[in-house]
Amino acid sequence: MGLFTEAFLTSLVLGAVVAGIPLLLAGLGEQLSEKAGVLNIGLEGMMLIGAYMGFLIAYVSGSTTLGFAFGALGGMAVAAIMALLCVRLGLNQIVIGIALTLGAEGITALLHNIQFSRTYPRLDAMDTLPIPLLSGIPVIGPAVFDRPVIVYIAILLVFVMIYVFRATHLGSALQAAGDKPAALDAAGVDVICTRTVAVLCTGLFAGLGGAFMSIVGAGVFVPFMTHGNGFIGIVLAMLARGKPLWVLGGALLFGACLSMTTALQVAGVDIPTDVIQMLPFAMVMLVLILAGRRASLPLALGSSYVRGAR
Amino acid sequence: MKSILKRSASVITFVALMNTFALAAEVKSIAILTPEQGTDFGWNQQGIDAAKAAGAKAGVEVTVAENLGYGDVRPTLRELAEDGASLLIAHASGYNTAAPEIGAELNVPVAIVDRPDQLKAGAVADYTASGHEGAYLAGRLAAKMSRTGVVGIVVSGEPPSWNAMSSAFAEGVKAEKSTVEVRYAVIGPAAYADVAGGKRVTETVIAAGADVIFGQGNGSSFGMLQAVETTKATDGGKVYFIDVIGDKTSLDKGFLLSSVIWDLTPVYVAMIEDLKADKFGSHNYDIKLSDDSVKLLKTKSIPDDVWSQISALRDDIIAGKIKVEPHFDADTVHKLVTAVPTAQ
Repeated sequence: MGLFTEAFLTSLVLGAVVAGIPLLLAGLGEQLSEKAGVLNIGLEGMMLIGAYMGFLIAYVSGSTTLGFAFGALGGMAVAAIMALLCVRLGLNQIVIGIALTLGAEGITALLHNIQFSRTYPRLDAMDTLPIPLLSGIPVIGPAVFDRPVIVYIAILLVFVMIYVFRATHLGSALQAAGDKPAALDAAGVDVICTRTVAVLCTGLFAGLGGAFMSIVGAGVFVPFMTHGNGFIGIVLAMLARGKPLWVLGGALLFGACLSMTTALQVAGVDIPTDVIQMLPFAMVMLVLILAGRRASLPLALGSSYVRGAR
Repeated sequence: MKSILKRSASVITFVALMNTFALAAEVKSIAILTPEQGTDFGWNQQGIDAAKAAGAKAGVEVTVAENLGYGDVRPTLRELAEDGASLLIAHASGYNTAAPEIGAELNVPVAIVDRPDQLKAGAVADYTASGHEGAYLAGRLAAKMSRTGVVGIVVSGEPPSWNAMSSAFAEGVKAEKSTVEVRYAVIGPAAYADVAGGKRVTETVIAAGADVIFGQGNGSSFGMLQAVETTKATDGGKVYFIDVIGDKTSLDKGFLLSSVIWDLTPVYVAMIEDLKADKFGSHNYDIKLSDDSVKLLKTKSIPDDVWSQISALRDDIIAGKIKVEPHFDADTVHKLVTAVPTAQ
């Protein structure tokens, strides 16, 4: 039987999309925080809470829409702690971010142990929304244009963010909060409030990404299931340096490389597995470093803002 | 003079007996450390359940430290050793550097996995348990049951014991029907909890034609199970799943074909006995078909006639008529899985 059939190729492209969407959402969220000057290391924890909440509500209510809504709220709840401790109280962003991730890992593992560890309930495959004409294209059609609505929303968010960054006062305020918070303050805009909004939106995006992993990606929740996606999202956001489209490209490239590693292995290519599995990480870093070498990160990234302090 | 000799002999015997009892009395408790919770129907649960069973059998208290992750467990090892554990069972390959180190520092014997070369009298023993004999039977079963002539192996890492099972599975498939193709994929580096990755990779292997999936993956195996439940084989029929280590029958929705069930209880019981007899570290430990520490799970999806054939093969392995050697390295696995044609 030949390997590279239409079904196999479709599966590879679909795998790239399914692996790429959580990274896209996490990366976009991180980009918002970073734009406003907050380095959000707690992204992994927000995703994990989003994955847990999303799965729990989707399973209990039978509604994936509610699942995504609560996944996003779960991510925002963690982000609210981050905003309180780092933006309002000015604590170290890296330390708090790590603590939030560890806390989320512990709490979700505990809750999973209590609720699901004897039964491991699984969700049915989510309904898809085929886009007329496009969904009929061989390979690409079923893999990209016949997906659950959340996939289209995630891609739409890229263009919403581009618009916000380029053409709105909020975009300018975010940029100023990250580069020159004192100037923003002097202009009469509340820096703390701007950064808080950015961090909460990060939680919303990351929570959605986590919920995507548990509802669409896996259909089940297990402890630690985000498996470092939050950290990869941080890397994508940092390398994309403020350009949402580059986050989309990086996330899809990462997903495509993951699919490629599977394809190479299934094809029986005799290269050590470790070498094959380095491919996604090496490729994304190479492309984004080359593409984004002229861009720069916000000047006040990682620094807390205290009015009047020098 | 005779009486002095008699008394001396009595004293020597008494001291020797007391020493023996003293050693036996020293094994009051053992501790096991696992990276994930003992509720995964797999590696972690098997380790914890078996340690508890062995402790109950030997009258030894068992302390469980679970869900420790794959990072540095030195503080936990130290704490358990200081609490008086007579044996530390480090139930993850990621712990096989830290455990001997802390064991040597605090003079507590440790049991590790995936490092049989680290055997050290009184200090370190390895239990790189391999269910290769069971995996061979699973391969024979998969080849008998496959409709498409393609079976898949999906793993969340390449630790030695899983390599041994992957290679034995592939050998079993080829021994049963040499025309059946075996397609192999690793989810990612140490992707033990990557449940979404497990589903994604399994779906791709199914799309490559596999209608029986042999999956090894702790938490990620639930993603594999989800993939076989939600994806049809290329012939439009059902995809079956063969699990390892644990028994997921209670979670099954009709897709579980079998499982290579492990029972580490005899391994841990032997460790406790060796500790008591001051023989710990003189040899490593393994599991095998002959004492049922490895067995293939019978499910309702296996027809009776096929199960009879598998049972006969099991007897042949135990009798030595079929030799199944463990291959712990990933290279052997890669060589065994078929390089398939890349064009139709």
